[in-house]
Amino acid sequence: MSPAAEVPPDVLRATVSGRTLSAIVAEGAYPLAALYGAAYVFLDRCWVLLDRPSPAEVRVSLTYKTEPPEGALDALAGELAEELVSCAWRAGVAGETRSMIEQATSRAHSGADAGPSLDDLTRYEFGDDATADPLGLAMSWEEAHATAQGAAPAPEKKEGE
Amino acid sequence: MQLVQLRKHLSPTFAMPFRHRAVGGKVLVTGTEGNFALLSPEEFEAFARGAVEEGTPLYARLAERNFVRAEFDERRMVERLRARKRFLSWGPNLHIVVVTLRCNETCVYCHASRADMGATHTDMTREVADRTVDQIFATTSPDVTIEFQGGEPLVAFDGIKHIVERAREKNKAAGKRLEFTMVSNLSLMDDEKLAWLVENKVQICTSVDGPAHLHDQQRKLVGGSAHAQATRWIRRVNEAYAAMGLDPTLYHVEALLTTTRDALPRWKEIVDTYVELGCRALFLRPVDPFGFADKTAPRVEYPRREYLDFYRSAVDYMVQLNRGGTEILERFAAIFLTKILGGEDPNFLDVRSPCGAAIGQVAYNYDGKIFTCDEGRMLHEMGDDTFLVGEVAAAAEGEGSAEGAVRARYREIMGHETVRAMAIASNLDAQPDCVNCTYQPYCGVCPVHNHKTQGSIFGRMRESSLCAVHKGIQDYLFERIGSGDAGVLQVFQRWTTVRDRTHFLQTCAT
Repeated sequence: MSPAAEVPPDVLRATVSGRTLSAIVAEGAYPLAALYGAAYVFLDRCWVLLDRPSPAEVRVSLTYKTEPPEGALDALAGELAEELVSCAWRAGVAGETRSMIEQATSRAHSGADAGPSLDDLTRYEFGDDATADPLGLAMSWEEAHATAQGAAPAPEKKEGE
Repeated sequence: MQLVQLRKHLSPTFAMPFRHRAVGGKVLVTGTEGNFALLSPEEFEAFARGAVEEGTPLYARLAERNFVRAEFDERRMVERLRARKRFLSWGPNLHIVVVTLRCNETCVYCHASRADMGATHTDMTREVADRTVDQIFATTSPDVTIEFQGGEPLVAFDGIKHIVERAREKNKAAGKRLEFTMVSNLSLMDDEKLAWLVENKVQICTSVDGPAHLHDQQRKLVGGSAHAQATRWIRRVNEAYAAMGLDPTLYHVEALLTTTRDALPRWKEIVDTYVELGCRALFLRPVDPFGFADKTAPRVEYPRREYLDFYRSAVDYMVQLNRGGTEILERFAAIFLTKILGGEDPNFLDVRSPCGAAIGQVAYNYDGKIFTCDEGRMLHEMGDDTFLVGEVAAAAEGEGSAEGAVRARYREIMGHETVRAMAIASNLDAQPDCVNCTYQPYCGVCPVHNHKTQGSIFGRMRESSLCAVHKGIQDYLFERIGSGDAGVLQVFQRWTTVRDRTHFLQTCAT
């Protein structure tokens, strides 16, 4: 794997200090999911930290959990760069084909849950609670947003909650 | 070939979604429907650039495998996805019933937390057994397999007989495809029990840890050899099947191995033992961190890279035996190969997405407590009730009919927050790392294992010993597939052939 010095700067800029490799990438260069996916790969070997040293940059810090083998820390830069590009590429392909995949997979799945029995139906109480939405799942974006601003009332809680 | 060097030329529009991984000098590419291609580095570079010319053999190969967007076959993908996920429409078909925790053997790795023979309070009562059967038949699945476990189930043989008879009676109205399996060390077997089990079509499964010295070192039977007992009765059961005119290649005792540290250098002896016993399958299972194995880990555990060396040596040897005419398959390999080469999911509940916790299997403890799976029940015996989702019980006042109550309880279990959380946690489309993994279409995770080893049902796969095993086995299989050895492929194809053992279906007799 390429050492830090050979990784193109438009992919990432890496520095090594102690047991830590710090890699700075331009925030707009990769989807966030690609950044997360690439960083996750190192969890078994390194402590992983993502932060934002400046508004347009993300820093991935990989700190070896144990004393790294000779040259391993430097090679992490190449490995991270490869994972970043790989994840970003796949995200691009997935984005281009999302509707095709969704269409194919939407012919989907029924669960393991059984339908209600007659006993259940006779016990069911058709009251106002049938339209209650205690978790706010049926709220529009506008309503939810207004709630956040304190303008709309919170959904009523059922007795016992 | 490095993607970093190609970064300005990578095509986002040529391919369908895929994941890739270097395997045995080639690049393995897998797709959403479980399609795969093993490409040379040069072929992968052309694929990455979207520079594969129409009309070339590579284009035809990629298109035939549904990797080329311009040639995308939606109907094929729908059919493949449906075949791979058909288990989602069923509901739980495997029902594990712990008829007692008592056991007459002491195993160094016992996952079940067995109880001493005097602990009669761990026998399932008739009342609990009846309610358990009623609860089992509430499943939406047309297939019901009741698996008797323990402890040692033969300690509570009357309980087994009672459950079998009640289930058969209940099935006259339910009409499900009903089967029974018993997992036993066989040391308490006798002629009368065997005759009853054979007559009532109860499949028999046992543990064999390899040659006698290894088996007896790990499985202590007071006053005798656990290995001698197990092997003696394996032969007797197989003889009984043969005497009934059943095909011995299909009807025989299934045996399982638990791989301990002491087993690792003995891969050849282990395979030879299974062949000599007439077994057609060997399941090279690593030891799990449940039950006593959690305490004896310093003695029985090992780094998973050592297990994978063991696995490779054993399966290489098994392939070699098959090429010489001896039929023996490795169960992990068969499960993965059925998905990889067969395009189907064999519904092995521990290696599927989402896993089988409650929606594929349910475990019923001797005391009526219901768990998402056997592993969840094992943790309960270790003092952790995370995976307890209910209890078999009579209809409470106001619950209506008994049948209505068990159906309501079934829905409560299926909709239980733990069950839903486990379905989410074991869905590889939503699991960090798995979502990017090349083996995602064929793999599965175990939330209980994650919870036990990493403190979260979601887990961190890069540090998971289970992930290391699954990845390592699939690396091996794809290396062998990629070698292009026709003999190996022939053996692997044979391992994916599933033949139904219809004799064990209870509906044939009722």
